[in-house]
Amino acid sequence: MFRVPFLVAIALAIAFGGGIWSTLWALEATTGFGVIRLGAWEAFPQAQTAEADPYAKSHRASAGALLYGSAEGLSFTAAVDDGGTPLRASCTYRIAGHTPPARLWTLYTLQGGRANRPEASKLPVALNSRAILRHADGSFEIEVSPEARPMNWLAIPEEGRFRLRLTLLDTPAAGSSGLIDLTMPSIQNLGCGNA
Amino acid sequence: MLKVLFAIVTGLFGAALLHLVIILSLPYFSEKDAYTRVLAEGSRHIFHRLPDQRDRAGLVQDDPFIEASVCAYDISQGPIRIYAQENVPFWSLAIYDAASNEVFSINDRTAAAGILDVVLATPVQLTVLRKSLPDPISQSILVETQQADGYVILRTMLPQPSFAPATDSFLSQAVCAPFEWRQRQQF
Repeated sequence: MFRVPFLVAIALAIAFGGGIWSTLWALEATTGFGVIRLGAWEAFPQAQTAEADPYAKSHRASAGALLYGSAEGLSFTAAVDDGGTPLRASCTYRIAGHTPPARLWTLYTLQGGRANRPEASKLPVALNSRAILRHADGSFEIEVSPEARPMNWLAIPEEGRFRLRLTLLDTPAAGSSGLIDLTMPSIQNLGCGNA
Repeated sequence: MLKVLFAIVTGLFGAALLHLVIILSLPYFSEKDAYTRVLAEGSRHIFHRLPDQRDRAGLVQDDPFIEASVCAYDISQGPIRIYAQENVPFWSLAIYDAASNEVFSINDRTAAAGILDVVLATPVQLTVLRKSLPDPISQSILVETQQADGYVILRTMLPQPSFAPATDSFLSQAVCAPFEWRQRQQF
């Protein structure tokens, strides 16, 4: 005698549970479509515009972050290395190569949803284009490691996973033209642990 | 058994529908969007400096080398003028409407002579302004927007800590306020 209410309850539970869960998951997992991937780096050059897709608009409405305008810059984030393995603070990585043309850039790490700031830890946990050593051709190598390194060292102050954020300021990469030719620096894993 | 399967399929269909409804409507009722947070920073037409740590309004300046200020505007009564004295290595300005869509953005290289001087107005106000451009804004960049409210972000770079006095004075002197835009009526 409770068959019909039972069936209705199943349908409603799946509808509401599944609908809400899938929405939360979609907002958490992605900034929307329109991603550009250059190696391990990801950026969303259209996320702040009126042309952004509904997922991007929804994400930015719930995240409430202040995005970069197209004349300001473009933020690239990397959560994995070139091999596709998540970045871990116990490993050492080498970021090598050129950035796309940009007047200035900044590089820092994110851990636990927060940015590491140099004034908090007294270590070089953030670098910018004015304060690094370069090769004669303008390319650079940065070693990301919990241990001190010669040349350019980006320190990781805490254990666990981290993400890298490279923000290009005043860059033609933020316009949509010619994105295919851009190259971002590679992220190589040089080994993990105390080896 | 078939009825249970039918109930599950109905549920999945409902879930997909609900997913779409939430995604499409979220921008209209979100209370965590950037505009609401900028309004929570304080009064309009004043630049509010963003802190390094997430503040009560939920805004933060993540990048260690960027300093930023935000200012909410409402130009339904009259246009606003945004200007600042610059002696910083880099600055950029982005104007967003209330739905966080980019209206206009500029940096010190794309601005004429690197001067930050922007007037933001509705199309009707711009028509009046262009008829008799007041002297103080004759060199300004005129930006037109359909939406009367939104917010402005002014960013500047701090490549080394020694630039802090320059960026501090740049951001603290920046103005985002209405101005005298109509000639007084002569009777």
